[in-house]
Parts: sequence; structure tokens; C-alpha cells
Amino acid sequence: MRYIKFLFALSTLFFFAACDKHHEDGETTELTITFKALYDGQPLEKNKLYDYSTYKVEFSQFNTYLSDIKLLKGTAETLVSEIEWVNFTPDFATDNKAVDVTIKATVPSDHYTGIKMGYGVKPSLNAKRPSDFAAGHPLNKEVEFWPGWKSYIFNKIEGQGDSDNDGTPDIFMLFHCGSDKVYREYSFEKEIHVHDATSSVAVEFDLKNLFYTNNTWWDMTASGNQATSNLATDVRVAQVLMDNFDEATTLK
Amino acid sequence: MQKSLIFSVFALLLGLIACDQSDPNPPEEVGDLVQYPYEPKAYTIKKPDHYPAVPVPADNPMTYDGVQLGRRLFYDPMLSANNTMSCASCHLPAKSFTDGKQFSTGIDGIQGKRSSMSLMNIAYIVPDNPADTFLLFWDGRTKSLESQALLPVEDPIEMHHQWINVIEDFKNHPDYPVLFRKAFGIADRSQITKELAAKAMAQFERILIGSGTSVYDRYLNGEISLLQDEALDGKLMFFDEGNPFGLPDGECFHCHGTGTLSGRGFFNNGLDPFDLIVDKGRENVTGNPNDRGKFRATTLMNIELSAPYMHDGRFSNLNQVVDHYLFDAHPTPYANPNLNLLINKRQIYTSYHRTALVEFLKTLTDTAFINNPDIQSPF
Repeated sequence: MRYIKFLFALSTLFFFAACDKHHEDGETTELTITFKALYDGQPLEKNKLYDYSTYKVEFSQFNTYLSDIKLLKGTAETLVSEIEWVNFTPDFATDNKAVDVTIKATVPSDHYTGIKMGYGVKPSLNAKRPSDFAAGHPLNKEVEFWPGWKSYIFNKIEGQGDSDNDGTPDIFMLFHCGSDKVYREYSFEKEIHVHDATSSVAVEFDLKNLFYTNNTWWDMTASGNQATSNLATDVRVAQVLMDNFDEATTLK
Repeated sequence: MQKSLIFSVFALLLGLIACDQSDPNPPEEVGDLVQYPYEPKAYTIKKPDHYPAVPVPADNPMTYDGVQLGRRLFYDPMLSANNTMSCASCHLPAKSFTDGKQFSTGIDGIQGKRSSMSLMNIAYIVPDNPADTFLLFWDGRTKSLESQALLPVEDPIEMHHQWINVIEDFKNHPDYPVLFRKAFGIADRSQITKELAAKAMAQFERILIGSGTSVYDRYLNGEISLLQDEALDGKLMFFDEGNPFGLPDGECFHCHGTGTLSGRGFFNNGLDPFDLIVDKGRENVTGNPNDRGKFRATTLMNIELSAPYMHDGRFSNLNQVVDHYLFDAHPTPYANPNLNLLINKRQIYTSYHRTALVEFLKTLTDTAFINNPDIQSPF
């Protein structure tokens, strides 16, 4: 009987030790995050005419920087990636469909409650220049940096529209957001169980929701609304878009 | 005895015949190059501080001997079928590695359909991600300098040779086997391949980096007084920074990047009405009709030295180029919106704006680069 008690005590100890080990050793798992570009809930296609208010628009480019992508568990944060450049419309494509962009990261196995992301390049990195980074680094891209702003171009959304529906484009959308003033961070709640290599989460950006908020379309026909300003001091349009990214983002 | 004599004479004759028919390609001895040292020394690419790091693929590290071999191959006409044409025939240092012709002509006198592209800063033209892998040539049909270097040798309108013959020539050459040994550590000449030759040429092409001493480079490095008058106005227009000074946006930098001004994207820049485009460019690579008439934006560094301009060399001077963008470009359904925006507001531009932009483009001239002794012919 004494042996049985001893064995029971020993096995209990092993059990707790095993539990402790699980947390202390930080068992890790590969997590896949897939970023998707949508318009009105459907995969985005370049040069496809989309209904927009009373007219049509089409998109030709959509890319964005994301900083400090973190998994949330309550108030605890686990860094997945410090910086990513997500390009949905790469130069080489055999068709017009926007591509999904996937990143993989090894993170502690756990039940997470959401994701937090910085939209754009966080100020500590935005203070640098492409020449500060090694080749292949997301921030090494010259064409994503504008000396005029002394800032990376946080995102590029380009396209055109036809306000009078006469078949000839007369709206030229050139939304390039940048500078620390328009950097934003948003958190999204979702149960994310990271337990094995199949663990994944999708982050969707719906461009319709970027331009359609509170039942109101961003008026592409209004003067000054078709493009972000060249002046670093004028961030009116950029602020609106960066504010709207919260509503335009969905976790699946 | 007589039989023995006949046999001996016959054997002697056989021997003589055998000597006469000596194999022009003697069997390659295993390890015939190991007597030569293989001591790879890393090559550090010289670049201005304000240029980004030069991308180098992990499977082709830069070595001093690799670069030197590549340099020699780049300038060696033995890569062409009749020993008359080298890579440098169409990529001359004095013209910033173009050839100054509307269309380049191959060894058989056949003209190509596109103008020679500048190789300056070509090392920066690398893919961002696996889905985006084809960037080199005007239409981006190859994905790396290593794969690009293989193509002109066998192109019938360029060097019109066969790599198998080129490699045989290398193996039998008095110098190349040892140079390949030094560059890549091969043990014997049978290991010389076209892939190694391409790697060496790619290494050489990666050192074709601007010197950082153009007027514009020096301006970026703090000598701001160097840009004055029209050139300064042109710079402000180029980078869309001129509004506070009453200058319209030129919308140039969107496609031509910053720093090295080596834009990498593919654009239809409205040279022809969309329905009349003959050379489909990028569409031939991707199969996507929306890519019709798109070509890679080249570096603008040394643009003054690399006339004529555009993929088909249709413009002989920079005034014509800038006039095209400011006044003449055709609207096109799949152009970058910046171009259509430019077209939409063309009434605001004047001849002064053209002059300003051209004067700015001239500040990109980098004569130290074209005179760099490290990139000249070794012959």
C-alpha cells in the first residue's frame, strides 16, 4: 500500500512536472498567416470594374507594410513578425487575380485570443532608409521609400475610375500613405489555436470597406480625393484611409 | 621470317596511322587542374553609402577570381560563333553599358527588335518574392543574372553560337581552365559548364554599380548647392515636390524609384495607342493581355549617355523623351494611373518644365562609373 501511495505521489509529481515543462520549455508550433485582398467580400482582381457609388472603379496595385504583427492572449503579446511587405499585385502574374501572401512563424503553442498589427512602418523603422537594410529585407526596397516625406510608403492603392460611366477613365486613384502621423495599430479578436503545423489564420483586407464606411462612399470625384498629397504636412486623405483599415480588416 | 617482317611493317604502319589520327580532344585527365591553387577571396562590391546593399544570391557568392573570370568572359568574342561579338559589343562601358543604337545587330547582321538595355545598377533588379520572379530584359523573361547570361550566346540574332561548343573551346583554351579552377574550385576541365560561365558573368555584372559621384549623388550627400535653377526645378518636378514653388508634379519617380533610380516595375508608358501596339512586351511573358506594351523601367542613372531611348530606341534625345511624357503619351487602359494622370493634366506643362526635367536628368551622369578601371575590358 505504501508503495502504491508512493507511486501515486511520484506519478502526480511527474504529471505536474510535465505540465510545468510544457510551459517552461515553451513548446512551439509553426503558424501560417495568410493575407488576402478582397473587394466586397470577393477576391480582388486587377483591372476589373467594380461598382462604386454610382460609378465604377478598378484597381491596379495594392501593397502594404505591416509592422509588429503580434498574437494576443489577453494583454500578453507574442511577436510574430517585426515587419512584412505584403504585395497582392506582384509584377509577375499570369492573370489579374490578386495573390494571397503567406508568412510562417514559429510561436509558442497556445490558445490565442487575437492579432494586433501596425499598419505601415513603425516609427523606429520608418526613421531609417533602404540603404540601412540588407538586400532582401522588406525595408531594402527603394521604390517603397519617398525622400520627399522621409518616410516609407506604407501602402499603395492605385487604380482608376469612370465617374460619368462613358467608358473613359477620369478618376486616377493614387493613394500612397506615409509618414509617422498616419501609422496605425489595430487589434482584432479571434480564437486562434496554435497547436500543430496546420495552425493558420487568414487576414483579409477588403478595399470596399476602406472606401465605404458608415454607409458613405469616399467621394472619388471630389477635388483632392483621388490621391494622397505629395506634401508630408498634408495627410488628410492618408489619415482617412489609415483610419478605415480597422474596418477593412477581418480575421478568418 | 618474311611473315615476321610483314607483321612488323604492318604494325609500324598502324602505329604511324594512329599517330596521324591523334584525337584533337585528348581525354580529360581527372584532377588535371588541382595543381593550381583554389583560394577564393571574397569580393566586396563597392557602392555609395546611400545605395542599398547589393543583393547577392547565396549560391553564387562574390569572389575576386569569379569577378575577374566574369569580366573576361563578358568581353571575350569567343562566346559568339564567329569570334566577333562579345557581351560588350552591345553593352559598352562608355555608353553606360548600352550600344548607342536603336536596335543591336547580331553576328549574322540580323537586327534585334529592341534596344540594348543599360546594365548599370542591374544587380538591384531582383525579385521580391517567389511569385514575382521574372524581371530581367525589357520584358522580364528571366529571373536572375545567372539565367539571363545564358541566353544571348545561343540567340540566333545575337551571338548565334552553341554553349556546347563554347564549353569545348574553354576546355581547350590555354587560360580558361585555370581561371575556372580559381573561380569555382573545379578539379579538372571537364567540370567547366555553361552554368559556371553564367555565374562568373553574373558576378561581374553585380559590380556595375554607380560611383555615387554624379551631381545628383553629391546633392544627396549634402552638396545641395550643386543643383540650381532648371536642374533643381526638374528635381522637384521629378519627385513631385515642387508644388510649394509653383511647379507641377512630373510623376516620374513613381516608376523610376529613388536612390539608384532603378525602377523595376513593368509599365505601359503610352508610346502607342493600345490597339496599335506591335511589340507586346511583358504580355509575351505573362500571357496576361493587361500586360500588353509593358516594359521594365530602366535606371535613369547615366541616362544622358545611353541614348537612344525606350525599348525600341525611338527617341534619340532626352527632349523627345520628356516631351513624350508631358505632351504626347497615349492614354492606355492598363497604364500606371500616374501616366493617365499625367496625360489628363498635360495642359499645365510648358517647354520650361521639359527643360527643367532634362536638366535634372543630366545631373545623373556618372562619368566615374563608366571610367572605372575595374569594369573595363581586360583584353
